[in-house]
Amino acid sequence: MNWNAVRTAVICAILIVLHYTVRPLLAWNVSIDFLIIALMFGAVRMRPGLAALFGFALGLVSDSLSPGAFGAAALGMSVVGFGASWLKAVFFADNLALNGFFIFLGKWVFDLIFVIVGHRVHGAELFMQIIVWSSLSAAMTAVAGILAVALLRPLMEVRTA
Amino acid sequence: MARATRLSSRIDFLLFIGCVIIALVTLVLPLQMREPLAEVLRRSVVAPLVNLQSNAERWHTAWQLSEERTARLDSAVMRGFNATALQSENDQLRKLLGLGARLRTGFVPVEAVHNAVREDVVTTLTLTAGTRAGIKVYSPVVSPEGVVGLVQTADPSISIAILFSHPDFRASAMSGDGSSFGIVYPHLQQGLGSSGEYLLELRGVPFRTTLSAGTMIYTSGLGGTFPRGIPIGVVLRELKTAEGWTRTYLLQPSVNPAKVNAVMVLTPQRAPQRMDNVWQMVARVDSAAHGVVSAGDSVQRHAMADSVRRAVGDSVRRAGGSARPDSGARTDSTPRRAPAAAAADSTRRRQPSDSARPRPVRRDTVRRDTTRRDTTRRDTTRRDSARRDTGARRDSSTRRDSAARRDSTRPVRPDTTMRR
Repeated sequence: MNWNAVRTAVICAILIVLHYTVRPLLAWNVSIDFLIIALMFGAVRMRPGLAALFGFALGLVSDSLSPGAFGAAALGMSVVGFGASWLKAVFFADNLALNGFFIFLGKWVFDLIFVIVGHRVHGAELFMQIIVWSSLSAAMTAVAGILAVALLRPLMEVRTA
Repeated sequence: MARATRLSSRIDFLLFIGCVIIALVTLVLPLQMREPLAEVLRRSVVAPLVNLQSNAERWHTAWQLSEERTARLDSAVMRGFNATALQSENDQLRKLLGLGARLRTGFVPVEAVHNAVREDVVTTLTLTAGTRAGIKVYSPVVSPEGVVGLVQTADPSISIAILFSHPDFRASAMSGDGSSFGIVYPHLQQGLGSSGEYLLELRGVPFRTTLSAGTMIYTSGLGGTFPRGIPIGVVLRELKTAEGWTRTYLLQPSVNPAKVNAVMVLTPQRAPQRMDNVWQMVARVDSAAHGVVSAGDSVQRHAMADSVRRAVGDSVRRAGGSARPDSGARTDSTPRRAPAAAAADSTRRRQPSDSARPRPVRRDTVRRDTTRRDTTRRDTTRRDSARRDTGARRDSSTRRDSAARRDSTRPVRPDTTMRR
């Protein structure tokens, strides 16, 4: 049995549950996207194609609760998952700041795709959303991601026996 | 190996492209087709997550509601505190208005600001008016209750007053009847009393005069600072001192300096005038009001007692009349009487109809009056003496009254009056 895959699946499941429990409880204007953290965690341990599929699945789950832009999150997460899997060499670097930066980047790219493709906002509001709110949300997600990586690192270590 | 790697890369890329294409297709799907897809997902895979989310949102709403409720409760409590403070301030200002109306002229109403530094014993106050308003050094500071202190420093816009609790405070004082005089000092040995009140000492009272506890002490007007007649406080008890030729008394001040927020500063024009009528007027009005109320009560009580007495007398008379079948004896005596006596008799006869009417009398009063026979008798005797003034008819009426009295106290004997 591939324990690494099981561990990854469990951690991703925990993060997905956190996304639907902690986020509504906090109800902050700038929310943490645990789905992106789960995607990044999973994507770096998968082949790019599978990571894209995983992202697509997560995106569909997210889209099912916001039918107005059905498919936008699926597209964004597919891109982010595929990209994260391609960049796994960098992402695997044992550096929390670098991990945080990549989570930030992943979340920001996802928001960019989601907002543009979903046609949710236009003009100056779109600009504000991308520059301010998406950046803040990406920063919050990065901080939460760093904490999650720091906490889950013992679980995620690959044993080389 | 390289071919396998290339193949897997191609597969990955194809998967990615496939995901992107499907996502784009779902994006361009019409709403009627998108919604059923989303609904299927919500009812199957996402259902547990939707439940989790709705529970979390319910928790969040409950938490927000409880916070709102707490905030509402806090603000209600705060409003309650403010209302109490406003009410007491309102009362104080009303009293101050009353004092202003009695003083008429020669005063400056000012706000008293307590020091920012919390003191155990408040000794100074900052007043929000100064020399521009006519306040000068040593101007007396008073409140509706009495003496508060005097101005020590007067600037153009503000002034500082020392209170009677200040070690430098002195005031010439006298008892309410003006029989004994002394000097009021702050009671420094024991700044705060057992119940937290500020106390004063009345020193230098001649040994021959004794002040009882509860005696009101006023400013005497001697010394020129405080006008005569402002209340200072009430005598609590005598203090034992080493001096053998004077007495010292402990006073409970009329004013609590810690609760003073608005005061009057008497201007130099007003200060020399006597204030006997300003503060004592209130006390007199109060006592007059009490007097009126108590007098009203006693008049009412007296009227009730009279009606009861009349009722008792009539019932006694009626009992006497009905018990004697041969009351013709009385008819015999009637012609012998003078017209005045007859008129009095008829009046008396008319009374039963009045007293027969039920009257709202207190039962205890009735009982008390019926049991006290002396009172009834005394009353009837008084009536007799009134009748005695009529001269010639004295004998017959006296006889008749005594007969009636006898009837009420003794068992009925039909022939008693006849024999007489």
